[in-house]
Parts: sequence; C-alpha cells; structure tokens
Amino acid sequence: MPAPNCLRCLARPPPGLATPVPRTAAAASPLLNRPAATPIGTRTRAHAAPFSTTPAPAGPPVKPATPVGSGGHNRVGKKLKLGKFKTDRAAERSKVPLPGERKAYRKRITLSNDNALPVPWLADLTPSSLADPANTATVMGLPDSLQDQLRASDAFKPSQSWGMFRKPAVLVRKETVDLVNRMQDAADKKQTLRLVVTGDKVTGKSMLLLQAMAHAYLNNWIVIHLPEGQDLTTACTEYSPLADTDPVQYSQPVYVFKLIQAIKKANENLLSKMYTAVGHPGLPQSITANTSLLTLANVAKEPDAAWPVFRALWHELTHRSVARPPILFTLDGLSHITRVSDYRSPAFELIHSYDLALLRLFTDGLGGSLRLPWGGAVLAATSRSNAPRSPSMELALAQREAEQLQREVPKKDPFFRGYDERAEASLRSVQVLPVGGIDKVEARGLMEYWAASGMLRATVDNKSVSEKWTLAGNGVLGEMERASLLTMRV
Amino acid sequence: MPPRLNLFSACRALTSRAFAQRPPPLGPAVLARGMADLTPPPRPSTGFTSPANEEALGKLRLIEYGLTPADVSTEGHKYGLPDLPLQRDRNAKHRYDDVINQITKLLMRDGKLAKAQRDMALILKYLRTSPPPRLDPARPLLPGAPPAAHLPLDPITYLGLAIDSVAPLVKLRGFHKMAGGGKALEVPIPLRVRQRRRIAFQWILGVVTKKVSKGSGRTMFPHRLAEEIVAVVEGRSAVWDRRTQLHKAGTTNRANLNNMKVRRML
Repeated sequence: MPAPNCLRCLARPPPGLATPVPRTAAAASPLLNRPAATPIGTRTRAHAAPFSTTPAPAGPPVKPATPVGSGGHNRVGKKLKLGKFKTDRAAERSKVPLPGERKAYRKRITLSNDNALPVPWLADLTPSSLADPANTATVMGLPDSLQDQLRASDAFKPSQSWGMFRKPAVLVRKETVDLVNRMQDAADKKQTLRLVVTGDKVTGKSMLLLQAMAHAYLNNWIVIHLPEGQDLTTACTEYSPLADTDPVQYSQPVYVFKLIQAIKKANENLLSKMYTAVGHPGLPQSITANTSLLTLANVAKEPDAAWPVFRALWHELTHRSVARPPILFTLDGLSHITRVSDYRSPAFELIHSYDLALLRLFTDGLGGSLRLPWGGAVLAATSRSNAPRSPSMELALAQREAEQLQREVPKKDPFFRGYDERAEASLRSVQVLPVGGIDKVEARGLMEYWAASGMLRATVDNKSVSEKWTLAGNGVLGEMERASLLTMRV
Repeated sequence: MPPRLNLFSACRALTSRAFAQRPPPLGPAVLARGMADLTPPPRPSTGFTSPANEEALGKLRLIEYGLTPADVSTEGHKYGLPDLPLQRDRNAKHRYDDVINQITKLLMRDGKLAKAQRDMALILKYLRTSPPPRLDPARPLLPGAPPAAHLPLDPITYLGLAIDSVAPLVKLRGFHKMAGGGKALEVPIPLRVRQRRRIAFQWILGVVTKKVSKGSGRTMFPHRLAEEIVAVVEGRSAVWDRRTQLHKAGTTNRANLNNMKVRRML
C-alpha cells in the first residue's frame, strides 16, 4: 500500500495519481537515512542513492529533473538527451516574421518627418509650375492629393530621401522644365512624345520621371506607370500565353491585375468622369457603351480577367470618337526590358521581353508604331545601379544623343554578336534627354531648402555650395545628398 | 597659379641670370648627351621675362614710392585666406565629432571603415527621423542635457548623450590572490572618458547583436542599433541595469582601496 504522503516533502499527492511514491524514493526504503523534512529543491547525492560507491564530492551535483511540488511528485529517471548544450534558436526567437514581412519593412516608404522644420516659403506645385522656367532652381512641395496619386502608382522609391523632410518636395531643374514643356507641346498638338531619360548613377532620372508624372496628374492626364522594368522580365510574376497571337505573346495576369488597381486608384477622378464609347461584351461582366471607365476597370476582380480588361481600358482611352485626356505611359529601368527575358516558352526557349504583351504595348508606344490619338508621352528612364548589360540600348541611346548634338554617330561593332535588333528598332526614333549634374544656382536652391528644413546644419553661402557641388562630382544630385545629408558630419 | 604679390617674390623675380635659360634639347636624349660645345653662345638679357614678372616689378616700384599696391590676404585667392587659428574640425583627422569617431571605429568589422561610416550615417539619419524621445525620470541623463524635443535635429548630441549617460564611472580591477584564499581582490578603478564610452558602446552592441531585426537588408543593423540608442535615452534599455550593477559592485568594494598592498601598487 502506498504511503498517503510524499516522503520527501510531506505533501499530499494529487488525487488522480495512482502511484504517488517516486520510484527512487521507494527504492530508498530505509526512512531513517533521510531527515524528516528536507527543504524543497535541495537534495544530496547520499540521500538519492545511499548505496553508491562513489565518494560524494567527486560526483557532479544532481539537479532535480522536475521541480518538486510543482505537480505529480514523480521524478523522472535519467534521460538520454542529445545535444543538450545546443540552444534551440528557433525557440528563442519570439516571433518569426511572416513571408514577405521583412521585405515590406525594407521597402516601406515614409514621406514625412515631423522633426524637420516646416519651410515657410515652400510653395506647392500648380498645374503650370513645372513648365515655368521662372521656377528653375526652386524647391516646390507636392500637394496632398498628388502625393496619394504618386504613391498609388509607386512613383516614390525607398532609396530616395523623402523621409527626411516635413513634406515631399522636388527641385525644379532645367531638365524638368525642358521635359515638361516637350510633353505639353506634344499633348497640345495631339502628338506623342517618345523620350528616354538617361544619365549617370544618382543623377535624378527617376526623379525626373516622377516630376513628369506630377505634371501629368496635375494637368489631368491619364498616367500609367510601370515602376520597375525588372518586375516584368525576371520571371518573378506569373505569365500565360495569349490566344490568337502569332507569334505567341504572353500576358502577366497578376502584374496587370495590380497595375489596373494602381491605375484605378491614381486616376479615379478622371476615370469616373469618362464613359465607354463602345460595348465590351467579351469581359467577365458585359460592359455596354456609355458606362463609366471606372466601372470597366472594376470588372477586373481577379487576375484571370486582368488582361482583357486592360486591353478594353486601353482601347477606350485611345478611342478616336470620344474626346479623351492625354496619356502618360512611363517605365523605369529600361535596360531590363531591351533584351531577352528570363521567361521560357513551352518549348523551353527564352521569350523575348517584347513578346510579353504589356511590354509590347509599351515598346510599340516608345518605338512609334502605336500612336496616342489624343496626344501624350511615352517616357522611359534608364537605371545605372541595377541594370543588366544591354549593348543595343547603350548604342542606340548614344547614337540618338549624337544625332541630336549633330556629332559623329557611333557605329555598331561589326564583330559583336550581342546586339538585339528588336530593341534597336524600338529605339530608332526616340528622343534622348541626358541628365547630368545640377548647376550651382540649382545646388544653392536645394541646399537652402535643406538648411531651412533643419537637415543641413551649416551656413549656405557660395563657398559651402561650391564645396558640396565639387564633392558631388560637379553637382550629381545623389552624391550631393550623400555629402550633405547622409554623412557623419551633420 | 597667380603670382604671390609680395616684396620677396618681386625680388626673386628680379634676380638676373647671367645666361638665358638653356632650351630643352631637341630630339632624343641620346643626341643631347655630350653636346656641351653645341650650347648656343650667351645672349645679352633683354630684361623682359614674363608679363607676371612685369606686373610684380610694377608693384615693387609702387612700394618704392611708399604705396601698398596689393593686399595679400585678399588678392590671389579665390575664397580668401582661412581665419586663423583653424577650427578643430577643419583638420582632416578631427573631421568628425570625438564620440562619432570613436564609435565608428568600434562598429568597424574586418577593417571596413567605409561600411562602418555608412552605418553610422544611417544611425544618425534614423535618430533624425524618429520622434523625440520620452525621457524616463527614473533614468536621468547627464545633467545639462538639452530638452528631448531638441535631440532629433541634433543627432550627434543625441548619440553622444545616450552613450555618455550610460557610461560606467569605474571598472573593477582584480588584484590577483590578494583577497586571501587565492581569491582576487576587486578594487574599483576610475575610467577615462574614452574608456567609459568604449565600455558603454560595447554593452549596447552586445544587446543589439542579440536582437532580431524586423526587416532584411544591409540597413537593418544600423536600424537596430539606432533603436537601442533611443531605448537608452528613454530608459528602456537593459544597459542601464548593467551600469547600476557595476556601480553597486564598485561601491561595495571601495573599502578594498584601503588595502595596504593595493595602495602600494596603485
């Protein structure tokens, strides 16, 4: 018969336990060996095993396997535990981030800094301010509604320093005024401006594209922006062949679905005021004539329907019978698309980027075979920090630039096989806008804005402007930022 | 380079040569060798050497008449001469703040100073963009610290304040076998400023390396570090306990300073 009480701590066993006496305690039956009441948690080796031949001090102190009295009172025997000195790192981490969470944290965009001082003289952009040469070398703020539109179309990049200032603002450069005026001229004449913005690293090419988009949004253009060329060609989004195309073209349903959402969000006001010219019976939800374009865009409720809806939307936006606003179609990271993509056809052959339907639309626009009847612009910007080699694009851009400056046009290397004829064809008649460093007047305007925001703690005079301008390789914008804002000398 | 317009340079320019300067040899060097007899005969000097020299001469003449034609401090320099004595941060070696300089070197791994500097710049950027810290009265910062609202716009002070506030005042030095029974005798020893900052920053780094970052990419380490700096200023960091513990041990052991053997060694 088991003893009613625990022999070690004199506590009553829990009612459900059949054998309350621990095995080792039962083996050590002579009760005289042990003191009447041992303090909880202390146990000597002699008490645990009275017949041991090992002298007591030589052995390691035995720790209780389970805390006595915590429940059960049954001591577990020795267990073989492999790798007991290894810590379980997975258990240490309190919460493992979900898939995509860490990247989202890295790519998050902050557009304001409450610590920065508000700049009293900062004026917001108006529809005409980017086209006005008088605004050159001034910094101008983006109005709130424009911020939302630009954010919806992914125009801000995490590498740009938006998060340092009270509100997002842009520097109006000579190139900005030039580009915006060219866009406006083309739109006024119902022509299409086809232009590539190119230049060295961190000279502000993407920012120029953003300014073009800002101008377009403020003047009620429809803006379609493909934020990264590489998203479309590195085989990281789904693709499917399109029926009735020869040679076969491929649509990218998930990407186009997201693009439609972005277009809808950014151009909502405009789309809701425009109505379809013709009916679109082939869509998942039949659309009759005289329906709002926003309703048409809303038909794309899942990726499968995205491409037909996008085609229908494009068809409506470029319809000749109804007056439509100009369109701005932009893409950043041109060299990713002027080459063979990473996608493979069912025959396991690489697919050319120009056979991807969305990119085909863009490159047709850039090459001039696709006209925008109500005018507009097709703009592309090159990227220099994340760009695969694209010899055809480099050559074509160098040739166009030389033609513009009426210099000797560089020739194709006759012994090189890496050229891409389709890329060359699409870039045969584009305009090129080379972007370089800013001049000292612009640099001064920018640095005065930085100083007024409290981010640059220095006197802005000719000497300091000249110093930073020179440090930045004759006014390369990103380098100026690195030299004055992202430095250890604040 | 513009000529230096002072008396000495004018005199130097005036030094007349007995012979006109030898023209550089024509053709390859071999032909020029051993051609001493081919040197042209000395021509009488016309007195005119260069326009700059003429200008200097003119100035010298003006000086002769008792006029001061040129102000050396303004003329011949695009941006003027610097004010002397030079400020400390105009020296390339003292370009950065002392704390920043020391900590950047402590951040450095594998000798990659440029990476450490970029990390430090990101830390400062984080401090500038994070909201002002909410100070904990139980963890007072250094006396004379600026108010919390001023800190984000002065990130260097922010960082220096955080580190100097948790920096320990003493370390415990163990005197070998002096406590009797082979034990070391712990004696509190005061630290210099750089030592204090180093220890404080090593504690902070120890906390940071054990943290899990929220995002991914190369900016995450400076982010975690900057978060810990903010935690220090707000009094949330575990580093404060470490400092308290060390100070307690130092207070407990300060009687050991009276040990005669120790006093002889200190």
